[in-house]
Amino acid sequence: MGFSANGKQCLLPEEALYLMECGNLQVFHQDLPLSIQDGYEKFLSANTVSLQQYQVFGHLKRLGYVVLRFDPSSESSSYARQLNLPQSRDRAGRQLKRKRSLSPAPSSTPTMEEDKCSEGEEDIKLPEPPEAQSSADEGGGRSWWMMDVLGDSDKDSGHGSKSGSSCWDFSSISFPDLGSTSREHFPSDLAPPDPSLLPGDLKVGFCDIAPWRQKINLRQVKMSANEQKREKYRRRWDVNKNREVRRCRNWAEYQELMARRKGKREGRPAHLWNREVTPLHDPTQPIKQSHRSLVSLTIKDDLVLCPLRLKDADDWRICFNVYQPNTVADFKKSNPGKPYSRMCVCSFDDPVPDLRAIKLLAYQSGDIPVVIAVVDYGDISFYTFKDFQLPTDVYP
Amino acid sequence: MEALSCGERRLGSEEEYAAPAVGVSLCDSAPLVWRMQDLRAVRAEGLVGALLGSLPRTPRQNGRLGRPLLLLPEEEGLLRERRAAAALPDRCQDWGGAELRQKHEEEEKRSFEEQSVLALEDRKLALLRAMTGAESGATSADEALRRRLQALDQNFTFPQSAMAVQLSTARAGLSYCPEARAFLQAYGPPGAEPRCDARYQVFRDLRGRGFYLTSAGKFGGDFLVYPGDPLRFHAHFIAVCVSLDESVCLLDVLAVARLGSNVKKTVLLCSPGPDARVCYTSLQWSGMI
Repeated sequence: MGFSANGKQCLLPEEALYLMECGNLQVFHQDLPLSIQDGYEKFLSANTVSLQQYQVFGHLKRLGYVVLRFDPSSESSSYARQLNLPQSRDRAGRQLKRKRSLSPAPSSTPTMEEDKCSEGEEDIKLPEPPEAQSSADEGGGRSWWMMDVLGDSDKDSGHGSKSGSSCWDFSSISFPDLGSTSREHFPSDLAPPDPSLLPGDLKVGFCDIAPWRQKINLRQVKMSANEQKREKYRRRWDVNKNREVRRCRNWAEYQELMARRKGKREGRPAHLWNREVTPLHDPTQPIKQSHRSLVSLTIKDDLVLCPLRLKDADDWRICFNVYQPNTVADFKKSNPGKPYSRMCVCSFDDPVPDLRAIKLLAYQSGDIPVVIAVVDYGDISFYTFKDFQLPTDVYP
Repeated sequence: MEALSCGERRLGSEEEYAAPAVGVSLCDSAPLVWRMQDLRAVRAEGLVGALLGSLPRTPRQNGRLGRPLLLLPEEEGLLRERRAAAALPDRCQDWGGAELRQKHEEEEKRSFEEQSVLALEDRKLALLRAMTGAESGATSADEALRRRLQALDQNFTFPQSAMAVQLSTARAGLSYCPEARAFLQAYGPPGAEPRCDARYQVFRDLRGRGFYLTSAGKFGGDFLVYPGDPLRFHAHFIAVCVSLDESVCLLDVLAVARLGSNVKKTVLLCSPGPDARVCYTSLQWSGMI
């Protein structure tokens, strides 16, 4: 039950009402607890969850099923299923625990702000507080790289510390430019290093640079005016100024970035070509003879394949996904798996769904059976339509 | 909800001025009855309705449900006709007002004090039981328990988080308000006539004859007709409402007759006539001999 949004634990209205009826939750509005009657009147409406849908929800929850809202956009299309494309699961589900410690809620209370910077203690509050929300879990154990992102790294001058921060402050580290021709930067000798950096009793005096500079070719390069201009721009361009480059944390990532850019440039992006299912046509190659038929392809108006063109089947909508209780199958919010069935709620006053509506529901649902829950003033009956193939005799 | 005695009759039904009105509130355009006295009054009128909510003592079962009570549109129409229903206001006028909050806080404090006293007594009893249980055993443990008992009065604290709170089913504000009919607003849109269609006529007629009716969607009919309170009897009839001038397909008659015979109920074809009389035709499946 419940979901996380902006770092807070929230409940859907039907879930909150169900928990209130079970006696496990108290919802406060303007410092007063809501009664069940208030809950019914405030949470149930035609826009959110209707009374009939809540009746079905409550009935199934009391039997022990796990009932979640149906989100049509999270279902993969039948084409993707036919190709057996791996389903791209919502990334937020996996990174949830880390993400919560990063970004505070926009309307966060002051206590949450200071908790953010402290070394983590998990702080979970039971659902007693206002508006059925509990404070966010402050995740503990941030890894070293997050300090860069948060921007509160300790920049040591001179040394890089092995613990948290990994940034060297190059403005304070002096690297002498021995090849510099300008008189100001011409050091005659190098100062000896700090004795604390030297091992043992080693003593280093001043270093005379003059003989080294004689070995360097310090002659000016003869360039034309164009070349000089180009040289000036090249010196100004810094690869590190690019945002994507800055996001790379090590050399391997930088190489990946370069490979990605190359792929994009040449028309063969890696994310399309490095999978099991590759595009049919390679833009870098000429169109193959066998593919020329693709050019003259038209889409047939097939009811089963593309029923989404029928717009007026709005009355029939899948409301819930029903999963079996934990004793039968493992259920995890981050990875619910395939639901046991999908619920569509109506009443006996509504007409029987016609073939088009049934096909639309089946298409939306994929390979999971759609159960139609008919609510009759307190009684609920469940009906489902099963596909049936007439048996055919095969003559040898 | 506890089983109501069906023999309850509303007192003073002849006296119009004293007849209390049943408070009905709308939720998602469905009429719901929330207060206990209203439910009793509705049952006393002979209207069954359907319970929708979880039963507070045993919430995770579907066998017996609790408040609210959902009224059929015909039942609602009947109540309106008898001027026995009134709409409850949407929310207490001064929700969030300081007075309500203060009242709520006072109640909580009072409840907390009561519960602390009871909790202390509970602890003492538990310790006493442990002491008497260890009578035959070592006396040193006994002494420790005795000392704990004496210290209990000083050291016992009842934490606020352990307090039991009550979640009221009906809106709390209205239980503070008087039950006067004048307080409850006029029910329904002004000038709304009770439904004149076939279903309502049949309902009113059968109710007038003393039958109890509930909805019969899963039996393929309009109403289930009980000779008495549904808690005591099985339904005898499945009422299907057809208007007199409507032609019925024979296959439909066959289908509904088959259905009725399978569940051992008589199918009643009801047609309201012109002069407020209803014509009934019963179907019974019998062998052809």
